[in-house]
Amino acid sequence: MKFITSALLLSVLAVSGCSSLGVKPWERDILAREDMALDNAPMDSGFDDHIYFSKEASSGGKSFGGGGCGCN
Amino acid sequence: MNSKTKSKLNNKSIRQSLTTAAGCLLGATANAQSADDWQTDVALLIYNETDRVSAFEPAVSFKKTFEDDSVLGFKFVYDALTGASHNGAAASDQVQTFTAPSGKGEYEIGSGEVPLDDTFRDSRGNLSINYEQPIGRFNKMLYGANVSAEHDFTSIGASATYLQDINQRNTTLSAGFSFEYDQITPEGGIPVALSEMRANSLTQIRGAKDDTRTLSEVMFGVTQVIDRYTLMQFNYGFAQSSGYHSDPYKVVSVLDANGDLIMSNGLNGTYIYENRPDSRTKQSLYAKVKRYMGGDVADISYRFMWDDWDVTSHTIDTHYRFNLNSSWYIEPHVRYYQQSEADFYRYSLTNTQATPEFVTGDYRLANMTATTIGAKLGFMAGGYANSVRLEMYQQSGDESPADLDALILQYNIRF
Repeated sequence: MKFITSALLLSVLAVSGCSSLGVKPWERDILAREDMALDNAPMDSGFDDHIYFSKEASSGGKSFGGGGCGCN
Repeated sequence: MNSKTKSKLNNKSIRQSLTTAAGCLLGATANAQSADDWQTDVALLIYNETDRVSAFEPAVSFKKTFEDDSVLGFKFVYDALTGASHNGAAASDQVQTFTAPSGKGEYEIGSGEVPLDDTFRDSRGNLSINYEQPIGRFNKMLYGANVSAEHDFTSIGASATYLQDINQRNTTLSAGFSFEYDQITPEGGIPVALSEMRANSLTQIRGAKDDTRTLSEVMFGVTQVIDRYTLMQFNYGFAQSSGYHSDPYKVVSVLDANGDLIMSNGLNGTYIYENRPDSRTKQSLYAKVKRYMGGDVADISYRFMWDDWDVTSHTIDTHYRFNLNSSWYIEPHVRYYQQSEADFYRYSLTNTQATPEFVTGDYRLANMTATTIGAKLGFMAGGYANSVRLEMYQQSGDESPADLDALILQYNIRF
């Protein structure tokens, strides 16, 4: 609980600090590039998530996954 | 027809002519997609472990953006798996015999070899649907649903995420929830936890035909534009699962005080079916930075994960995309992963000690490091975006079952 409270507090501080960051709407040319998308290769990410999910004890973190597997 | 209507029609026809002319100019060079078209991605993955599992996975996805900016996507993945998988037992300097999961048939493992079950064969189909729905100018919902089926495993799941843009769209806050329901129907039924494997000539000790597990997860995220060239993302995830978590095909070796096999149940060793706790709580922190660097694009991410099984892990993942020209790029990729073992992991047990309540010999819950090194080559051919990637995945740990080498080969084409 203590951890969640600290994480929330940190997020609020981070977000309020973030208000001085950023760009104007007309400065988004580069951020709008396809290769600047946060996940610009969803097929690759999907395959990787499935491989690592079935071979390691950890999974997720980035976004919600594409379903479980038996992965024996 | 009054003059106002005439003028409107004229404007409309001029706009149409201009659109057509622009379309001719742009469309001749590529398959320029209007907002009404479906974008199709086709991919094939070949995953091949040395002496172990091989997977052949074709996938296809379709995506369409509608006039109201909503986006609908479908994805289908098929998985064909063959090869051998570690059965959880320890390697021995004696020959070992194991009963196949079905209870019919057996397989033999030579001295010093990792016990691999080569009766392993499976195929899996996975269908997922995603829908992105704008609410206002600065917020939207993402919905997802998926179903996945193997001959011994079925999973259905759904998720919903709310996204809110603030700070002139420089900050996006997200909050999401997902739920998954799994049904496990192993070959030969669910083994009774901690019961001993018996020779295939004997009746196996099995419980119910199937069992279930549910998983709920919440995730909170912040995406922040730092400057004209840099983006950052932070996520916190909390996942709780309950139900059957054991791997029905995994056993643990029980050895004598000298570390030798103990003959029992018609086998030359003693092996008990593993037992994992019936719940797990996982948490993760994830951060990613992506930056445009003089024509190239670099990204790096870090994930810290911990759970109540005492597993903690660190993952660092980085790509650097060299944009060689407008149609060719090469993108090296390096990933490093390290995990600590679950508190109930044992490479083997000894018969002089009491059997623990929870135990697994699955190396995937042991101390382990893994590295991925490879590269992707992207190019335009026939007006379509193509890419091929080749990567080496290597795992290593304290004991031999964790030593694994795999090759990942993938081809993508976007129509």
